[in-house]
Amino acid sequence: MTRRHASVLVLCVLMPAIGLLTGCGSGPGSQPSPKTILAMGYIPNVQFTPFYVAVEKGYFAHEGIEIEFDYGWETDLLKLVGSDELDFAIASGDQVILAQSQGLPVVYVLNWYRRFPVCVMSLAEKKIQTPDDLTGRRVGTPVTYGASYIGWRALLDATDLDEKQVELITIGYSQVAALATGQVDAALCYAMNEPVQMRAAGEAIDVMYVADYANLVSNGLITNEKSIQERPELVQGMVRAALRGIAYTLEHPDEAFDIALKYVPEAASDEATKAVNRAILAESIEFWRASSGELGGSDLADWQASQQIMQQMGLVGSEADVTDMFTNRFVVEVK
Amino acid sequence: MVIRDSVSRWTRRLARLARQRWEIILVPVGMIAFVGLWAFVRWLGDYPTFVLPSPWEVWSKLMVVAADGTLWYHSVVTLTEILGGLALGLTAATLLGYLLAKSPVIERLLSPYIVASQSVPIVALAPLLIIWFGFGPFSKMLVCALTIFFPVLISTIVGLRSVEQDLVDLMRSLEASRWQVFRLLEVPAALPVLLGGLKVGVTLAVIGAVVGEFAQSDRGLGFLVNLANRGLFDTPLMFVAFLVLMTIALGLYGLVSGLEVLLLAWKRED
Repeated sequence: MTRRHASVLVLCVLMPAIGLLTGCGSGPGSQPSPKTILAMGYIPNVQFTPFYVAVEKGYFAHEGIEIEFDYGWETDLLKLVGSDELDFAIASGDQVILAQSQGLPVVYVLNWYRRFPVCVMSLAEKKIQTPDDLTGRRVGTPVTYGASYIGWRALLDATDLDEKQVELITIGYSQVAALATGQVDAALCYAMNEPVQMRAAGEAIDVMYVADYANLVSNGLITNEKSIQERPELVQGMVRAALRGIAYTLEHPDEAFDIALKYVPEAASDEATKAVNRAILAESIEFWRASSGELGGSDLADWQASQQIMQQMGLVGSEADVTDMFTNRFVVEVK
Repeated sequence: MVIRDSVSRWTRRLARLARQRWEIILVPVGMIAFVGLWAFVRWLGDYPTFVLPSPWEVWSKLMVVAADGTLWYHSVVTLTEILGGLALGLTAATLLGYLLAKSPVIERLLSPYIVASQSVPIVALAPLLIIWFGFGPFSKMLVCALTIFFPVLISTIVGLRSVEQDLVDLMRSLEASRWQVFRLLEVPAALPVLLGGLKVGVTLAVIGAVVGEFAQSDRGLGFLVNLANRGLFDTPLMFVAFLVLMTIALGLYGLVSGLEVLLLAWKRED
């Protein structure tokens, strides 16, 4: 029995309430699972189509990996990966920078989103098409941390927009309602979510992509240093299978969408919902394509830009080396 | 003279309470045991800080955020929301509770909806309340008020119905007005149950404010928990926010308990 297991036992014996909450040792780390767990930082969604495709096409099986999907909050998943309680997670690069600054030994091994997906959305009638148009406007942000806010700060940094001339309002995840009711003039969103919903609802909107002004690291596959050192073949297999899933989805989006519906049947509960979800996948695909470099490879400049923004925000110090945060060694060419 | 007598009477009561409640010393003993157990589990499990910080790491963080004013700023925001929510929720719940206790017709009309409304998770409702009532503190107060509404409502109804009908009849036979019956009989008789409901309500109010801040906010202790957990990976900061929330809940609970001691002194003297 390890000390950590003994500590859980102490908790379970002495604190029944905590024992109940933690499942008294039934967590992912208490018993080694033969399956490899890949946890995604959201809910089951067509945005994870490449991974569903990789299962259905047998790419994981070909690597000898029996995969199991899980879902949750990015930060929770990274903590689990960092403490080796979870094998792999899908999370954004900025979270890796933050996590490493707090001592989590997590490493980004596959760059999935080649463009940072945060955007500024507004109703067309507001005529907000460039950062300058935001001067004197009210801009809604879901929260004042995380990828959306980092994207906003990157946009400010990359343009001449004066932060003091924009009223930034925290609106929670209610961007569509806040725009529709006129509580804000523009809102920070994920390009494949709210803008797709607004277009589907027949609203004329303008979308300003942060990636057009500053590209930051975005979603990718994350594991920990221990896995890289002790099970590099597993990491290699995961990266290759995921890359094949991404490549197949880029080549065959319609078939990939049908595969995804097996995992997210609610996405086709009626024709309108199905159309919205197909549009979400189409929009997502545009962020997965590699305009330059190989599919899955991380660009040092993107990491440096992200770290610089986060340093300016006071979120991280300057001591960390971004080259410790990602590696391209597992990225291979796939067909 | 009257004031001096009154102060002297309350002082005697508090001194008597302290003598009777010698077990109050168990509170710091329990706290020390809890911190010791926490440190022991951390040492035994050798957990990294982001999984389980040690009590000393949390204490250090507490000192930092207390010194730079961060903690005070966020605590005041949450406390304001809690107090506003309590004012709203208590007013609505006691008024409606009185109506329901006095009018079986209104009770039959409204109670199914009131009971059914309790199955709506407030965490799912909070984002809508924020859209409907704006991004300011009022929407969080409303979430807070809705959270405490039901327990206070029920305790009001139960408390008012616990008044013996014989006593009401007696007062009426003495030609007491409706207001006199309310003030001299119903309120004192209902107070024990009402204060019990209030104890539950004040602790729930803390949760209500945090739920509101989780849905949308850029300030407050709920925001600080979110920021520490989702935005900074700063688990000690999250624990600091928990500690302050617990302190607020304990403080409010203590206030109600103190109120109970003062207002129900007559009951013990009887």
